[in-house]
Amino acid sequence: MTGILKKISQINFGLMSPDDIRSMSVTKIVTPDTYDEDGYPIENGLMDPRLGVIDPSLKCSTCGTKGGECQGHFGNINLARPVIHVGFADTIHKILRSTCNTCGRILLTDSEIFDYQNKFKTLIKNEESLTKIIKDVYTVARRDKCPHCEEEQEDVKIDKPVSIVEGNYKLTPSEVRERLEIITDSDSVILGVNAEKAKDGTQVARPEWMILTVLPVPPVTVRPSITLETGERSEDDLTHKLVDILRINQRLKENMEAGAPQLIVEDLWELLQYHVTTYFDNEASGVPPARHRSGRPLKTLAQRLKGKEGRFRSNLSGKRVNFSARTVISPDPNISINEVGVPEIIATEVTVPIKVTEWNLEELKGYIMNGSEVHPGANYVIRPDGRKIRIYDEIKETVAENLEKNYLEKGELGYVVERHLKDGDVVLFNRQPSLHRMSMMAHEVRVLPYKTFRLNLCVCPPYNADFDGDEMNMHVFQTEESRAEAKSLMRVQEHILSPRFGGPIIGGIHDHISGAYLLTRKSAIFNEDQVFQVLRKSKLPLPDRTGKTWTGKQIFSKVLPDDMNMVYRAEVCRKCDECTERSCKNDAYVVIEDGELLSGVIDEKAYGAFSGKILDHIVKEYGTDQAREFLDASTKLAVSGIMKAGFTTSTNDEEIPQEAKEDIEAYLYEAEERVDKLVAAYDNNELEPLPGRSLEETLEMKIMQVLGEARDKSGEIAESYFDINENNAVIMALTGARGSMLNLTQITACVGQQSVRGGRIDRGYSERTLPHFQKRELGAKARGFVHSSYKKGLDPIEFFFHAMGGREGLVDTAIRTAQSGYMQRRLVNALQDLSVNAEGKVTDNRGVVIQTLYGEDGVDPAKSDYGKVVDLDKLVDEMRIKSGK
Amino acid sequence: MKKSAWGLVDAFFDEHNLVDHHVKSYNDFVNHRIQDIIDITEPIELEQGEYSVETGQLEIKKPFTKEADGSKSLIFPTEARLRNLTYSAHMYLEMRLLKKDESEPDFEKVYIGELPLMLKSDICHLNGLNKEELVVKGEDPQDPGGYFIVNGSERAIVTMEEIAPNKIILERIGEVEDRRARAIVTSIKSGFRARISLEYRKPRKTGVFLRISFPYVPGEIPLVVLLRALGLSTDEEIITHISDDFNYQMIIADDIQVSDQGLKLEPSEMEELSQEERRQYLQTSAIKYIGNRVAKGMTEEYRIRRAEDVIDRYLLPHMGVESETRAEKATYLAEMTEMLLQVISETREPHDKDHYTNKRLRVSGDLMEDLFRVAFTSLTRDMSYQLERSLARGKEPSVKQAVRSDVLTENIKHAIATGNWVGGRAGVSQLLDRTSYMGTLSHMRRVVSPLSRSQPHFEARDLHPTQFGKICPNETPEGPNCGLVKNLALMAKISEGSDPAEIENIIKKMGILE
Repeated sequence: MTGILKKISQINFGLMSPDDIRSMSVTKIVTPDTYDEDGYPIENGLMDPRLGVIDPSLKCSTCGTKGGECQGHFGNINLARPVIHVGFADTIHKILRSTCNTCGRILLTDSEIFDYQNKFKTLIKNEESLTKIIKDVYTVARRDKCPHCEEEQEDVKIDKPVSIVEGNYKLTPSEVRERLEIITDSDSVILGVNAEKAKDGTQVARPEWMILTVLPVPPVTVRPSITLETGERSEDDLTHKLVDILRINQRLKENMEAGAPQLIVEDLWELLQYHVTTYFDNEASGVPPARHRSGRPLKTLAQRLKGKEGRFRSNLSGKRVNFSARTVISPDPNISINEVGVPEIIATEVTVPIKVTEWNLEELKGYIMNGSEVHPGANYVIRPDGRKIRIYDEIKETVAENLEKNYLEKGELGYVVERHLKDGDVVLFNRQPSLHRMSMMAHEVRVLPYKTFRLNLCVCPPYNADFDGDEMNMHVFQTEESRAEAKSLMRVQEHILSPRFGGPIIGGIHDHISGAYLLTRKSAIFNEDQVFQVLRKSKLPLPDRTGKTWTGKQIFSKVLPDDMNMVYRAEVCRKCDECTERSCKNDAYVVIEDGELLSGVIDEKAYGAFSGKILDHIVKEYGTDQAREFLDASTKLAVSGIMKAGFTTSTNDEEIPQEAKEDIEAYLYEAEERVDKLVAAYDNNELEPLPGRSLEETLEMKIMQVLGEARDKSGEIAESYFDINENNAVIMALTGARGSMLNLTQITACVGQQSVRGGRIDRGYSERTLPHFQKRELGAKARGFVHSSYKKGLDPIEFFFHAMGGREGLVDTAIRTAQSGYMQRRLVNALQDLSVNAEGKVTDNRGVVIQTLYGEDGVDPAKSDYGKVVDLDKLVDEMRIKSGK
Repeated sequence: MKKSAWGLVDAFFDEHNLVDHHVKSYNDFVNHRIQDIIDITEPIELEQGEYSVETGQLEIKKPFTKEADGSKSLIFPTEARLRNLTYSAHMYLEMRLLKKDESEPDFEKVYIGELPLMLKSDICHLNGLNKEELVVKGEDPQDPGGYFIVNGSERAIVTMEEIAPNKIILERIGEVEDRRARAIVTSIKSGFRARISLEYRKPRKTGVFLRISFPYVPGEIPLVVLLRALGLSTDEEIITHISDDFNYQMIIADDIQVSDQGLKLEPSEMEELSQEERRQYLQTSAIKYIGNRVAKGMTEEYRIRRAEDVIDRYLLPHMGVESETRAEKATYLAEMTEMLLQVISETREPHDKDHYTNKRLRVSGDLMEDLFRVAFTSLTRDMSYQLERSLARGKEPSVKQAVRSDVLTENIKHAIATGNWVGGRAGVSQLLDRTSYMGTLSHMRRVVSPLSRSQPHFEARDLHPTQFGKICPNETPEGPNCGLVKNLALMAKISEGSDPAEIENIIKKMGILE
């Protein structure tokens, strides 16, 4: 908030020249020792006090600020001999390969140089990437003879990581540097090194700067030493490495001065190169990593940045935050979908900063007087000078008094009170993995007893939450701007419709659906007392008593908007050949006229998550406020409805009479015989192959078809004995509350064919699945057909095949979660900067157009009708009802 | 199941314990395999054979502990658990120092280190105790044993699943149309694993179809060259050894032509040679070819010696490491080649790697064997270092002083305590699961596959029909380890393997023709 704002016009990336390094350094580092006997840092040592301070009680001798404020200052080491920087070894190699070994000119003819210079100019003008053309230069500029001085060129090779070999001679870094020095500035540019002189004569980079003659020494704040409990000092890995460099550097210098034999000097030089290399990157290929005395590899500069635990991924892309909380979640059907129940213990810990004003002074004083322990209290007061005062019971009175006095009498502005979270505050609520925007939504706080976050069951689908121990995170907004933004954009009710498919993703689940069905089915008639109980419990306005009985449909109509008209087919619809509409025997034809449910039952299609039509209609026609009210009221109604009736299920629901079992058995035997016949036909070569299939494939397909039919048919037989009116399991399956008809028929009739990777089971022993069968046996059972039902029980062979099929499912889920996580990461990285502007144009962060019209049709899927711009049939139906037909 | 059948199950469990596989395997390790390892280890020689150390019989004492005051007392598992000690037995080995041209001194018993003990194994104090006695010793009478106690923590060694060694595994690379396949043999000779891989693939330009790779030879070499080096010198010999099928013979003939270019044969030199000399000439050129690979830049004499050494020792070592086995190895490779060619021509199905017949389980005894071998080698290395040092100082060398028992003890203890086994495998020994009694039992029947958990490996994770009756179809973790970590079926037993010579005898007695 303070300071001057300036706009960055350009960023130049370049190399540091030795002069740059020296001029930014505050001291030369010479001695490899760090501290003297008394524990004081040695001058010109690695812990030189001029490099900055860590201890907050000390002042920095360079900049004068206290520890913690001083970011530290660089030092430098003068290397006795130059060494190659590992990070640039590849580039150096490429440059040497493309330049003349005597005259230092680039190995391109003058016309080629001219050509490339022009290409560079246009690319720079168009702000396009230069990487491709530079790569091109490196491939072209390889000649056996220099076009400028006619000198023969020898091949320059790189011996990873840092040795550069010409022919059979290994170039020393000094020689490499000499060669780089004679490359002209204009040639450097074509080689990808921006050596062009600016107007003031400064340069961003020179090729020879890739060879180190001076080594910058990072400030102590970058490599703090740790004092153990024993009083022993333990140095940072970087410091250790720098000590190594200094030692060798000194020995090298001494040896050179003493005129030691070339061999010894070269050995030491190599060693210095090794230490500098590992100082930059201790995992460079081809170099044994430098190790600690304990054998642990040192963590040097590159290791600090790289990988998942590196600076980029764990400190810059991802940060830990304050004002957040995490605990187990549990359900609460009595709070609104917009709310979240926050345990008191959390509410007293995370706070909201409130600016003190004339109008809230009394209120905030009250919070301060409550202290930090009692719930609507406050934890800190921040004075205008920035000091933060923790509120204790002992000082809370004085703090409150001072606040009032200073504010009112002295007119001091800018006090901030960090008060506890209280009902109505907006917070961000999140469950990992945060795969879509509905994984982070803004909720209103309801401070509640106990220690779990409470959430309305309707928001389970968007978070993909259940209550088997799931934990969720809460974040408290700290600025008014964020609060406002969250409230208008991130509130739960704004996310009822999913941008994934243009329908509601928040909606009734499980008991909400079976409850609503029980309430609205035809046989549901209630006397007035019952009706009042239900309405009262769902907090709906009570009508005048009339003494008449009510139908469930009338009760449900209470939560529908008065002027609503719609027609649709419910989930229980059996898709009969001819629809009898309002006189449907399943009561599946839903008609709502002027907010009155006239026919049809309420089930998943009405207000369930993913498919609720009424809910969808209300959001789109009446707005999100109405939708939230409808959802809160209707789910409460459904829950009180199911409590009136009571609801339970047991294996008795999957019982069918003996004759049905016999029917099923007969049918399955018949199917198995058909399979045997197919196999026999195949054996006798009587089978006709299907077009484009081999004989074996044809047989497999036909068998799969027969067995699939067998399971379906046996299921149908079982189904015909299930009555929705007296079977709760069937209610759940048909209304879409939980389970499916397939689940039920597998329990009662026949489990069916087990499959691994889409086909019947065909692995195992040679030419057979299990030794219980004949070789080359292709019958139903031999390839994993489970004839029995779950209720009857599987025989060992069936059980084993079933386990095989089950295992595939387990493996799939395990692999899929891992893979989709990685895919998500890559997708987000690729798409994060794209945005849609007001005209629907999609651009990236540079303004490059990706799509002229979002999605090529400009439709916001969240506001669409299940992905389509408009659903005409639906509109026509509505209008028909409105007009009275 | 009928009631009578349950009686059978009861009878099974009367005889077999759920952790029998660990106990039996460990007993075998203690009773026979340790001694074998010691006998096989190369004896220490000093000063060009002036001194040598000979080892004799090993004795393992029942577990006792030495207190700080020097007193010794028998230690029982419960005490080890409570006092954070290691439940281990002291090992004594007969050793003597032989000096050239001097009489052999008597063996002396030297304490060489401690061996962590498996509970309820033969040398465990608990072995053979009845319920009441166990309770007196502070043990749960229901406890199955089969684990170790190291520094007071109970550690179970998890059974490892591996591809069957010493067996040809044929696999196809890519699709059938790619016409690429590979034959792999992991040959094991006393702990040393040599992976031989023979691959058939289309050469990039002109080159050899059949290439083989084996340890200590960088890259791949043409199969034909190797066969020549093994003594199948003439073209005819190679072709007929590999196959009778004309089609395959043609492929080999092509290969021979291409490979021979690499041998730098001088046709002019060969002309005057006799049949026998020709063979010799071809064989040596092949050996030279290999020598150029294994010892590039050395003298020719050394190259040849080194090449022969590598062939004998690192090619199919399970068939023997003597030069006499070369002919046998050549035949083995030739047969392997025919099988590979059959896979390519689709007359033979490649092996199913997940078929349980192609898998072997390495139980605690086998894994302890690996560990002990390495630990014992480092002990002998340390001994020879110590002996050399005392010799250099002019002292009279003594075996007793040269043995630093900590070397062996710590090596073994550290591996079991951390689970970091030799060969870089981690998690071999794990903290015994004591969540529940069943958890403990399940943990000791666990089988872990070495396949990486980060890759999908769909096939390997599937429940394979051959696991019926051997591996539990239900118990496997959910998540990244799914299907890779398995459990033995309740009534599965692990056989311990038999002596090949014995089997050979039986087969011969059955009247098989040589």
